[in-house]
Amino acid sequence: MILDTQKTEKFLIAKITEQDANLEIADKFRDEIFALIEQDNHRVVLNFEEVTYVDSSFLGAMVAGLKKALSLGGDIFLVELKKDIYNMMHLIRMDKVFKIYTHAADIE
Amino acid sequence: MIATLKKILLVDDSAFMLAMLANAFEKESFMVIKAASANEALTILETHKPDIILSDYEMPIMNGFIFRQLLLKNPATKDIPFVFLTTHKENELVMKGLGELQAVDFINKDTPIPVIISKLDNLLSTVRQKQAHAVEELRKAAEAINVKSIPTKGPSFKSFEVGFWHEPYHGYPGGDFIDFIKVNDRYTYIILGDVMGKKWIAWFFTFSYLSYIRATVRFLVSDEKTDPAYILQKINQAICKDEVLKDVLAGLSLLLVDEQTSNVKYAGAGDVPLLFYKAAEDELTTVKTSGLLLGLFSNAVYDSHDITLKPGDRLLVFSDGLIDFTEESGKRKSDYELFKKNVHPYLKMDRSFTIIRGYLQGLLKDGRQADDASVISIYKK
Repeated sequence: MILDTQKTEKFLIAKITEQDANLEIADKFRDEIFALIEQDNHRVVLNFEEVTYVDSSFLGAMVAGLKKALSLGGDIFLVELKKDIYNMMHLIRMDKVFKIYTHAADIE
Repeated sequence: MIATLKKILLVDDSAFMLAMLANAFEKESFMVIKAASANEALTILETHKPDIILSDYEMPIMNGFIFRQLLLKNPATKDIPFVFLTTHKENELVMKGLGELQAVDFINKDTPIPVIISKLDNLLSTVRQKQAHAVEELRKAAEAINVKSIPTKGPSFKSFEVGFWHEPYHGYPGGDFIDFIKVNDRYTYIILGDVMGKKWIAWFFTFSYLSYIRATVRFLVSDEKTDPAYILQKINQAICKDEVLKDVLAGLSLLLVDEQTSNVKYAGAGDVPLLFYKAAEDELTTVKTSGLLLGLFSNAVYDSHDITLKPGDRLLVFSDGLIDFTEESGKRKSDYELFKKNVHPYLKMDRSFTIIRGYLQGLLKDGRQADDASVISIYKK
């Protein structure tokens, strides 16, 4: 499993357990996040604590997950991003697509 | 050669054998993943794709035969070259099942380790040669029907010098594309796009994207709607409605070069921000727009920037393959600011594009490349 999940009152926290979030695990990630969303977890918090690199294939899978969540009235939040990854997200305007917070506790 | 390390998955229930093999393969620059059982190997394979698997045959709980059968059932693992490590008494058994199990080979446990390594090394070379051959055949076929994601030659300009360069990732065609659309003697559109994803899948989609872009530009220009931001908006709407492309995202830089005024109108969609070198001030600035990736939301709005180039000024348009790199530790990173700082001295007035290209080629050498990389330089003469 790529996602280590923990259910809270407000949302489902899904921690990415791989450091290199890349092409090799993108499909598997997509399947896992879709399955979670379909199990009525419409508000998902993706925890990036372990992640040191995200490639465009993985980013594409994240967006597919976001579209799925949005279509069901939910959302995907990103937390615990390393500076490099946040900078990359900001660079290509993904910070306007995903709601990014420092910690899960900051999400209203 | 970090990024081109050969990755091997070793499966053996004997801790001693596993450690010995791992040690020997690591010494020969293999990246080794160890599994003490077939079950552990199956878990590893959910998140890792080795270049080759070397597995013990006789193991408790799940033996090599069942392990191999399970791998064959999974599309993600069935094509990874697989070699059995066997004892003499198992040889016959494996021989019988070799066809059914589609194992590439089996190696006797008594074989000296250097021989095992060299055998596997040769096997991998053959696999890579076959892959390279298949890539070449596809490339030839694509060329024959005149589909190119990167042109061989750009248009000529009177007052600008435009150079471009593309470096595929590990020789595979990828999601980057470049195009030039000359409207008339005065106006030319310059396009650099990056379909998200890697290798084949991204490459196939570049042609669909290019078709939309070319058609939209031509159609809107004939209607005198030339603003790149407006064109991006229309391309995005078309893509979001396309059943095949709607989940395929792409970054795009679209520039309209005006030869008469030396003005460049730029609009971007989730692209890597441009670099603008001003010769008079020897200053390098980032030019960024607010547009989102194409294919995300059909109601996305795009904005354009006017950039006027004076003699000696240069615009650098590039894909993320130039800011991504692999560190010596094997970790991959993205660093736009580092790239900006390092490329600055190469953008000065007296530097030709050949020198810039040489510098960029050096950046991606020795396995540091992490994605396909493209760049377009627009220099005002």
